Amino acid sequence: MKQCTKQYITLQVNGRTYSLTVGDGQNNMPPQETLAHTLRDRLGLTGAKIGCDQGACGCCTVIMNGRAITSCMTFTCDCDGAEITTIEGLADAATGRLSDLQQSFIDHAGYQCGFCTPGVIMSAEALLREKEQPTEEEVREALAGNYCRCGTHYTAVEAVMACVEQRRSAK
Amino acid sequence: MKYLGFIQAESVRQASEEMQKGAVLSAGGTDLIGELKDRVLPEHPEKVVSIKGLQELAYIREGSDGLHIGSNTTLRQISDSPAVAARAPAMAEAAYSVATPNIRNTATIGGNICQDIRCWYYRYPDSLGGALKCMRKGGVTCYAIRGENRYHSIFGGEHIHSTPCSSACPAGTDIPTYMAFLRADDWDDAAKTILQYNPMPMITSRICPHLCQDKCNQNLYGDTVNIHGVERSLGDYIMEHAADYYQPPQKETGKTIAVIGAGPGGLTAAYYLRKAGNAVIVYDKMEKAGGVLRYGIPHYRLSKALVDQYVELLQGMGIRFQMGTTVGRDITVDAIKESADAVYFGTGAWKQPVLGLEGEKLTEFGLDFLVEVNTYLQRAIGNDVLVCGGGSVAMDVALTAKRLGAKTVRLACLEQKNEMPAMIEEVIMAEEEGVKLYNGWGLSKVLTDASGKVEGLEVMRCLSVRDPGGRFAPVYDMDEKQVLKADCIILATGQSVDISFLGEKLADQLKSARGLIDADLGSGRTRREGFYAGGDAVTGPNIAIRAIYAGRVSADSINQDLGVTPVPVTVEKPQVTFDILQTKVDTASGLPQRAVAERTLAEEDHSSYDCKTACSEYGRCMDCACYAVNSSDIANMLVAYGATIKTNMRTLTAEEMFTRKTRIADVLRRGEIVEEIVIPYHAEGTIAHYDKYRLRKSIDFAIVSVASVYEMEDGKVKRARIVLGACAPVPHRAWRAERFLEGKELTPDVIEEASQLALYGAVPMAKNAYKIEIAKVMVADSLKR
Repeated sequence: MKQCTKQYITLQVNGRTYSLTVGDGQNNMPPQETLAHTLRDRLGLTGAKIGCDQGACGCCTVIMNGRAITSCMTFTCDCDGAEITTIEGLADAATGRLSDLQQSFIDHAGYQCGFCTPGVIMSAEALLREKEQPTEEEVREALAGNYCRCGTHYTAVEAVMACVEQRRSAK
Repeated sequence: MKYLGFIQAESVRQASEEMQKGAVLSAGGTDLIGELKDRVLPEHPEKVVSIKGLQELAYIREGSDGLHIGSNTTLRQISDSPAVAARAPAMAEAAYSVATPNIRNTATIGGNICQDIRCWYYRYPDSLGGALKCMRKGGVTCYAIRGENRYHSIFGGEHIHSTPCSSACPAGTDIPTYMAFLRADDWDDAAKTILQYNPMPMITSRICPHLCQDKCNQNLYGDTVNIHGVERSLGDYIMEHAADYYQPPQKETGKTIAVIGAGPGGLTAAYYLRKAGNAVIVYDKMEKAGGVLRYGIPHYRLSKALVDQYVELLQGMGIRFQMGTTVGRDITVDAIKESADAVYFGTGAWKQPVLGLEGEKLTEFGLDFLVEVNTYLQRAIGNDVLVCGGGSVAMDVALTAKRLGAKTVRLACLEQKNEMPAMIEEVIMAEEEGVKLYNGWGLSKVLTDASGKVEGLEVMRCLSVRDPGGRFAPVYDMDEKQVLKADCIILATGQSVDISFLGEKLADQLKSARGLIDADLGSGRTRREGFYAGGDAVTGPNIAIRAIYAGRVSADSINQDLGVTPVPVTVEKPQVTFDILQTKVDTASGLPQRAVAERTLAEEDHSSYDCKTACSEYGRCMDCACYAVNSSDIANMLVAYGATIKTNMRTLTAEEMFTRKTRIADVLRRGEIVEEIVIPYHAEGTIAHYDKYRLRKSIDFAIVSVASVYEMEDGKVKRARIVLGACAPVPHRAWRAERFLEGKELTPDVIEEASQLALYGAVPMAKNAYKIEIAKVMVADSLKR
């Protein structure tokens, strides 16, 4: 038996509204699809990566309704009406200028191969949205669910802290 | 992920209704999605019903009776909540210990406590060569027993359902439990356990085809456990201590039950009926009791002295035997019924079937042959004997003929060697002793010389015995024939049931379409009230253990129908565990057996194990159960806090929810949804914590966790709760340590003693003994705060 009680769902991604038809038709979104796949395969937002696909590595992290979540462990059907920010939504939409947090990762070499970086930055972004001036300990805790196989955890934390510092002095 | 229907529930009621129609519930989804992706479950659900949108279930409220947490509250909300921090701080620690910050933003408390286990065999993904159908998923074994078990239970396993050996036994004997008692050197409880299923293990161990062994999981690695060998040792023990197990009942019920037929089924019914306090009288046409055990099975397989002893034990219980009485001739069933409250028929299958063979009258009937030899232990036998048939009776006839002194014994049967109904051990023995097998031959006609004396048997090629549906339908090639020379032909090609003793009227009432007695196999009840039947008379020729089962369930039905309540046997279940070293022994020990030259007609071929061998053999039993550990951190803390769980149907204590059954799915009813968790407020001065040991601080599940709640008063422990997580299939209350701590000051000695007691009864598997040491240290640390 195939059924889906809701035919359409809408997602607010990076300020844009997307309407998706749920079903088993050719262009429909199958109901079991996870948010990571919807973002990447359907909306073309390939910034979030699918690493372990089990919620363990954090590469697929996006911000939903203010909280960093693992999009690979979320049914898109559960996200109807949700407000989502992906790594693509951080840069200035008009100019393409990177956010200060993104820039800080470049300036402080907060990554190596870059695969996990969108997830790391989104976890950090969620923290900074909640708390303007987190301590280094808080940053480490917030990034505890993001795994970097290149081993750039230290420089990632440095990059986030540098951004925090920059914002503090800009005040 | 495979296609799924998805329903966004708008209310708990709707979600519950969908679940009752087969949907699986999704809360945060972080556990379920992983399982669906890897397709680890044997059945892929068709629909998911999500309650993620039910925001009314996401709350934390300080009530008068405790802290109320809605089931949809995320773990992040719990660990962040000032109310939780103030009222149940260890709950915040437990929530914070789960997975990663990002997962905690999604995962809910309701989902956490209902999550599935993380055992790597259970979670083995389908994409890598197929998911494993382990015991927990309805399969037969636990791969961790002999496999990788460093994160598994240190407090034994839990039987999720009956083990393959028990399910294969027609009597449902609880084999792993008596094996476990034996490993604990508790022979008395082992005896009590087996006697609940079978009153004559000393006999079945010798004659049963032991279907249990065919299904033993040691099969996967080497030889199966020699269950009947162990059973024989246990049977020996029971005979040595028979006075303890075959006592007359304490109280008489005043009811009388007549048992017709003194074979295995009748003697079983008699035993259980008598045990319940009924007067029992057994009728049989033979001179001595035992039926097929005495007259059908040769002495060399089952000593008749043993049958005598067993019958004497039954007499000692007060069972009366009316032997040499042919029911239907010497006394009618009606007359018996008049003097009894119920009648059990266990009359067996003793009649020779007519094959329609040319010259059939010149042959002998195998069962009659065995009866004669078993009675007199001697008999004239021809020079060239031909036995027809491929079952156990045919094997007994062939070997008996050989041991009587026949020069040649040939055996012809329809089946090929690997399809013969006889046990392989019997076939091997027959060949060892010189019986020549002719497999794949059907009977054509008996050949005689001019004087009418038997000269041989013409046989024809049998191409196949059964049709594709498994029904008996032999196909012959009439063109391929041969003559097997013989001066004596014995047919052991089956027996039939004779119910003429019932008298015409009763036979008509009780008869089945096949001419047998029509009785329910699970209860022994016939179509007429007060009459019960079982064994071969109901099923046609079959094995003794089936008749034993029928005798037992019929006794239960008779007791029930007469309003008799038997005294229940109480045996406290032993811990489910196994011997690490001995389970890795792949070869089974056979029973000592006489050399071919020393085998006789009168003495048993096999003897029992010595103590040491018995011990090594029952040590091989893996006590197949699920050895995975509980994975929810929250559940441990809820048990420690003494929380309650409210669902849409009822309220459960945390202990009822998490510790009574291994699988949460077996606790919750269909359509039952957790709605709220209530954590009672604890007294002033209580120290509560959740400590979790794991390899990585983030994402990993606990290797050991300790949920502790210590209520202190005047520097002493007033009340303690210690729950070990990830140590047992369910959250493990260390109640010995808890009781010990009450009223004590926490001196170093007390802490040391408590940490030892907390691990009382721990039994490591091959690779997880380290968990015991870690747990001790963690319990000690929890007391040092």
